[in-house]
Amino acid sequence: MVSSRFCALNITLGKFFCVLALLMMGFVTPAAATSAEDVLHKWFSLSLSLIRHTPTYTPPVASRGLAYLGVTAYEAVASGSSKLQSLGRQLTGLNALPVREVGQSYDEAVVLDVALAGVMRELFGNTGPSGQQAISRLEDELKKAALSGGSTAETLARSEAYGRALAKQIGDWADGDGGATIENMGFPWTYELTKGPEHWVPTNPLARQQQVPLLPKWGKNRPFAMPAGTSCPLPPPHPYSEDPSSAFYKEAYETYQTAKTLTPEQKTIAFFWADDAMASPTPAGHWVSIVLQIAEHDHLSLEQQVDALARLGVAMADAFIGCWHEKYRYDLIRPITYIRRVISPDWQPFILTPPFPEYPSGHSTQSGAAATVLAAIFGDPYPFSDRTRERDGAVPRSFNGFIDAAKEAGISRLYGGIHFRAAIERGYEQGKCIGGYATSLKTWR
Amino acid sequence: MLRAAEPRLAPLFQEETAQSGVTSVYAGDWQYMVGGGAAAFDCNGDHFPDLALAGGEGKASLFINKSKRGGSLQFDRVESGIELNGVTGFYPLDIDGDGTMDLVVLRVGEAVLMRGLGECRFERANEAWHFDGGDAWWTSFSATWEKGSRWPTLALGAYIDPKSGDNPWGSCTENRLFRPNEQGNGFATPLPLKPSYCALSMLFTDWNRSGTPSLRISNDREYYEGGQEQLWHVSRGETPRLYTDAEGWKFLKIWGMGIASIVFPNETYPSYFLTSMSDNKLQVLKSGPSDAVPTPVYKDVAYDRGAVAYRPYTGSDLKPSTAWHAQFEDVNNDGLFDLFIAKGNVDRMPDFAALDPNNLLLQRPNGTFQEVGDVAGIASFAVARGAALADFNLDGKIDLVVVNRRTPAKLWRNVTTEMGHFIALRLQTDGPNRDAIGAWIEVKHGDQVIRREISSGGGHAGGVNGFWHFGLGNAKSADIRVIWQDGTLGPWQTVAADQFYGLRPDKEPLALLR
Repeated sequence: MVSSRFCALNITLGKFFCVLALLMMGFVTPAAATSAEDVLHKWFSLSLSLIRHTPTYTPPVASRGLAYLGVTAYEAVASGSSKLQSLGRQLTGLNALPVREVGQSYDEAVVLDVALAGVMRELFGNTGPSGQQAISRLEDELKKAALSGGSTAETLARSEAYGRALAKQIGDWADGDGGATIENMGFPWTYELTKGPEHWVPTNPLARQQQVPLLPKWGKNRPFAMPAGTSCPLPPPHPYSEDPSSAFYKEAYETYQTAKTLTPEQKTIAFFWADDAMASPTPAGHWVSIVLQIAEHDHLSLEQQVDALARLGVAMADAFIGCWHEKYRYDLIRPITYIRRVISPDWQPFILTPPFPEYPSGHSTQSGAAATVLAAIFGDPYPFSDRTRERDGAVPRSFNGFIDAAKEAGISRLYGGIHFRAAIERGYEQGKCIGGYATSLKTWR
Repeated sequence: MLRAAEPRLAPLFQEETAQSGVTSVYAGDWQYMVGGGAAAFDCNGDHFPDLALAGGEGKASLFINKSKRGGSLQFDRVESGIELNGVTGFYPLDIDGDGTMDLVVLRVGEAVLMRGLGECRFERANEAWHFDGGDAWWTSFSATWEKGSRWPTLALGAYIDPKSGDNPWGSCTENRLFRPNEQGNGFATPLPLKPSYCALSMLFTDWNRSGTPSLRISNDREYYEGGQEQLWHVSRGETPRLYTDAEGWKFLKIWGMGIASIVFPNETYPSYFLTSMSDNKLQVLKSGPSDAVPTPVYKDVAYDRGAVAYRPYTGSDLKPSTAWHAQFEDVNNDGLFDLFIAKGNVDRMPDFAALDPNNLLLQRPNGTFQEVGDVAGIASFAVARGAALADFNLDGKIDLVVVNRRTPAKLWRNVTTEMGHFIALRLQTDGPNRDAIGAWIEVKHGDQVIRREISSGGGHAGGVNGFWHFGLGNAKSADIRVIWQDGTLGPWQTVAADQFYGLRPDKEPLALLR
């Protein structure tokens, strides 16, 4: 209590100075020093928890947040690294970032911590009381740890100031992308459904908000690495038809039949990749979790980690923008609607149908983009094991590489009964196209 | 028959907080974001419901009802022995069967059983009753008397691990089931009800009319991992076990905050209203062949029946609501149970309504609901948590108290002038289960039978015990019957309207107030 009151009263001091003073006064127990790698993992782990527990964090929103966190981590590390170069002026709308003072020392853990903490506050300002408390506690823990690391007060102050400057610029940049404000959890206050049997209609009559689709304007957001939401267009879906000989019917029948005859393995896969909002870190968080696991297992360097997190985040955020652009361009009906209308009125998919149009599959697009980036960084095949859903009761799954995992993520949507095959296969191709932009970013010197 | 058609029978409430003498705030930060319960019960034998209100990090309070029949609401705060801090909720229950109401006190820390001493005084009874109150963030409770038991079986639900630090998610601590000990003088070592998923409401309820209540638990999805809503088999002598998907229980994840049960007119089985964030649930048992053994398969009809209450119905804030305590009572005496819902933001969550009025949903004859909170005068924008609906001034009209977070509790007197008739029934037995928890009351008038299960639990962190209120519409008498907790079927008995009766097995109804 003493510490919090003292620091609250000394808001003109930097928080590090405040805690430093308390340390000297004996009010705060020194914590063990921490590394920049620890800082990175702790903030990213918390971000995955907050994505799951912050109501606005639907999959597109989560991808955006992880992209900004990835870029922040990257710039915090790259600005002090001789191996990495800034993404300033490479990413759309991102000007040159602050540079460090030549010849001066910085505490890398503090720079990274302050920058990530600042952007986390921006991104998760709307999270609940437990999330706010968790952010504050992690800030305090890492600050105390940093103060035990042996850096001088001058170095700490310089590092904190630099981290703040980075966070400020990235926060300002994020504010203007079209995705910063999420009202009504992403469901528009008014929306007119497109007329015609081929178009999306609400699929969950019990959820009042979901009588309109999620984030219909997300495809117009400013992308990160690809030029525009239209940069990787898709051909139209199969023409709508209720004729059993039509391609549309046949694909719908495949989804219907698959869901009726699911094997235990197919159910496992559908659940493993379900990645629902508010019940998981979402698809983008799932892939970030994979990278964090690989980083730990394969002892990646800090530079390798932030390179992967930045480019992965950028690719997935762009993938959701590109995917959403096409979703609302074609506005296609979901399997549950078509199958109940044309094939079987009582049909039930294995997983919940999300509240937005079908084509293309979001998980397929963003997994395709993720796999493209990660394969470019780490190579493919690249065997790894994924424990992301372990705490939800899912057995870890092993993959030969990123493309293997992305393909499974895609087909999981057929098993789940929420997509037709075309949305999965073409979504994956769209993801590859979008991921190419993130792959082309120049990170290593 | 007089029915709640459009505004004609809308009830009218008058706020009487200022003059009532009730001054209580549910205070505190993170550990008091949930809880804030109210208990309404008679602790001094005058039949007027007294009040125990949770105070959070401040002291809990007991208020003796000094109202006159039909008069304004008047209470006196007294030192009663329940003035503990850290209290999240209260449930009244005559645990030891001595004819004096005791209190179950839910706390952040140790749960406490308070033995009623009469005249609204209480003393701690954990040691005397061999009750291990543990050290947890206790948030929910329900009780039943298992067949042949002289002591109740208590279920206590816990929330997040208070020591979970910066990662509270997935830290739900163990719910516990306290069964009577073999010595017959209290409770045995509690059994864990695992898995536990941050229970914010529990209710023993005989959902299938089998004679053995099951335990429904509503859980907060915000904090569990791999969890869902739960229904437990609890049979004497057997280890509790969860109903499974194979038995029909369906996976459902909500921000479960409160359970309220209702039996719709002429129906046999209870339906359940579950409070949550945004959409609330009204679950009715799916119909099957009339001779079939019911399976616990429920259909959510909240939207169809106008009871979804997902966002404010008045004021400028259109963001989704956050619902806590819910309770069905007939507030206009038209013979149909109405629904009150306490609403309030968790804690300045910007994506949910900050100005979130409490709901009062009148039941229509076709089973749908109509919002009248604003015209009835109870649309408070304070951040509500617990509540209790009871007839505080014994005028035959259901009144209301609402506990608010960080601001004072509020009381409303029901001042509706054009009301239907009513009866109020208090079940009394000489056995250990004095208030007949687990019994059913049936009230027949005109062409309808209204059933009510007598339970202890549910709501959000608080409940009522005392007279059970039934509106009768235009009927000046009603036929009543009790199915006592041991299954004994009482006779149909005719009683005049507008009276408060005591009902005992094998006895004629006795008017308790003249």
